[in-house]
Amino acid sequence: MIPLSHFLLISACLFCIGLYGVLTKRNAIQVLIGIEFMINAAVLNFVAFGRYDAEQGGGQMFALFAIILAAAGVAVALAIILNVYKHFKTIDPVKTDTLKD
Amino acid sequence: MESMYFADSQIFLVSAVVVLPLISFLFILAGKRFNTENLALFHIAVSFILSVYLFTGIWNKQTVHLQWSWFSIGNVEFKVGILLNNLSVLMMVLVSGIATLVHVYSRAYMKGDPDIYRYWAYLGLFCFSMLGLVVSDSLLLIYLFWELVGFSSYLLIGFWYTRDSAARASKKAFIMNRIGDLGFLTGIMIIYQQFRTFDLSLLFAENGLIQASFIQEAMWISGTSGMPEIWLTVAGVAFFLGAMAKSAQFPLHTWLPDAMEGPTAVSSLIHAATMVAAGVFLIARIYPVFNLQVLNFMVIIGTITAFMAATIALTQNDIKRILAYSTVSQLGFMIMALGIGAYSESIFHLSTHAFFKCLLFLAAGAVIHEMHHNRDKYGLDFDYQDIRLMGGLKKQMPLAFISMCIASAALVGLPLTSGFLSKDSMLIKVFEWADSQTGILKIIPYLMLLSSALTAFYISRLIFKVFFSKPQPVSIPVVSDAKDAPGQMTVVLLILALFSTFLPFGLNPLSYETSWLWSGFSSSEILKQELYHQIIPFMVNTISAGMIVLAYRMYVQNKPFRFVSDESFLYRFSSGEWYLNQFYSFAFVKPIEKVALLSWRFDRYVIDAIVLSAAVVVRRISDFSKWTDKNIVDGAVNGSASLVAWAGSIFRMFQSGRLQHYLLSVLIVLLTFLILIFLI
Repeated sequence: MIPLSHFLLISACLFCIGLYGVLTKRNAIQVLIGIEFMINAAVLNFVAFGRYDAEQGGGQMFALFAIILAAAGVAVALAIILNVYKHFKTIDPVKTDTLKD
Repeated sequence: MESMYFADSQIFLVSAVVVLPLISFLFILAGKRFNTENLALFHIAVSFILSVYLFTGIWNKQTVHLQWSWFSIGNVEFKVGILLNNLSVLMMVLVSGIATLVHVYSRAYMKGDPDIYRYWAYLGLFCFSMLGLVVSDSLLLIYLFWELVGFSSYLLIGFWYTRDSAARASKKAFIMNRIGDLGFLTGIMIIYQQFRTFDLSLLFAENGLIQASFIQEAMWISGTSGMPEIWLTVAGVAFFLGAMAKSAQFPLHTWLPDAMEGPTAVSSLIHAATMVAAGVFLIARIYPVFNLQVLNFMVIIGTITAFMAATIALTQNDIKRILAYSTVSQLGFMIMALGIGAYSESIFHLSTHAFFKCLLFLAAGAVIHEMHHNRDKYGLDFDYQDIRLMGGLKKQMPLAFISMCIASAALVGLPLTSGFLSKDSMLIKVFEWADSQTGILKIIPYLMLLSSALTAFYISRLIFKVFFSKPQPVSIPVVSDAKDAPGQMTVVLLILALFSTFLPFGLNPLSYETSWLWSGFSSSEILKQELYHQIIPFMVNTISAGMIVLAYRMYVQNKPFRFVSDESFLYRFSSGEWYLNQFYSFAFVKPIEKVALLSWRFDRYVIDAIVLSAAVVVRRISDFSKWTDKNIVDGAVNGSASLVAWAGSIFRMFQSGRLQHYLLSVLIVLLTFLILIFLI
């Protein structure tokens, strides 16, 4: 049987890869992909811990819920990126720095 | 009752007499620049007519005294007013009358002068001050006008102020007069301290405060207050000092000959007839204050002055300077007469002298006018006032010659002239007075007689040189072209010539005691000696006649008949004016200049040095303050500001506007917290 720590390790690796992508990529789509990585790291954790709640299947349920939310989030995010592109003619997050005052 | 009537209806006239010339002065000063001669003449003429009217109402009839409150200090009230008695109305008529004549004369004499309006303005100021001086009833007011008279005299002497000598002469006159003013002021202060009033009629009237005061146990007592006896003498000497400066008495006389730098008409009005008589007038006005010591001092000073000036006049060559010294000499006679108590004789001589000396000056002015005019016409260059260069003017200027002869006869005291009456009266009195004196005072009448003889000589010398002798080669064209002065000037000369004869003063040409003017005043009692009344006029005239003949032989016939040569000590002593100017220069002017130089050096090298080093110290301190301010105070403020700016520039780096940076920041913070929690 695969021990829990392996799942957690994989999950942490996924999260870190996603975080790295979010922080470093020069393309909003790639950033979005990084976010998906991080969500999926969390989902993996839910599923892994779900073993200790076999009767009610809370972990499984939350995982499904999160996947749906992620799908919806991606749809919204893609729409935002499309608008950002229309506005700035680029989707490089480094160049879209109008958040500063 | 008559006095009250006067006060109600005619007070206006008195003020008009005094104020009219002032109005003319103010008008011209306020900017009237044309037709000023008529304006000035009109005012002084009206003033003269009113004075004559007042004279007829007051002379020998009444004394008018009117007072107003002037100002008060604490409880002490100061009053001013007018006091008209025989003396002041006589002076009033004299001043305004001669001033009117001089105004008429000046219209022609000063014609064409570019600054003529100043001349008329100053004359107005002078007449105002002199008339004010004459009518004032308070010592304080007299002092005020006294200063004004001195000031207007200063202005008029320096009328041609572009000439250096005129500017110097005006300053000299002013400074010499200040010495006398100081004395006058001292006298006033002593009198005020003793009597607490300035009022002339209270102080000096018959049975006034001065006469009521007495000497007791070496104290000078008046009412309840008293002071040591010596102060009475000091007050007398102080007042006399004022009169000495104004009336050009030895040793303060040196300003008067220099004052001849002014226009000749001014010299005749101010420095012969009126202003210089102010000193004599002052003494007469406050006569009771002088005690015996002061009176004797006065006699001595008067005699020295009369003798000294007469000797100097013998050798002068400037026509106006001779006349100036003659004035000084005659003023000495008057002062001497006042000193012996011959009060009315002195005032009598003052009046007659005013006319004939004014005439002498104006006639000399006519001569100078011609000489100057013709000299410029021929483009020659010589001193037009030098009598050696004149000569033979008798034919060219007959009217000037005749009037000058009459005036000179009056000055010498020849019969039928006014001078015969007044001068002989003084000489008689001084002989009578000397009978009761002892010691050195005995020689005074003989000195006066000698001065009188010298007078005859110097004035004959002037007449013979100017009118008889042959002119020098350089001035022949000028002299031969001369003619009598214009009508206005000549009329004035003739009027004054009339007043130099005995007629206006009394009907008897041989006895002064029948003169109305003489009997208008009273002298002290001097034992009368009939003999003198007969012998002295005879003596004086014999000596004078001898002197005139001597002068004629010397200067017309050119006989080499000389007591002293031109190179001898006596001659140089006389023409050097007794070296008094040099002595003053050596004794006073040079030391004062040295002191001034020393003070200047002290100021420059000590006081300035202290000030400058103090400035250096202050500068150092301020430099330090500046450094502190800039580096410490400002440094703290600027330092905190730049700290904040530095922190701001750090923190603003976080707000880059880049999404990923923000996320990184969040991550770092989270990690920090996690690490901290883990570690703690």
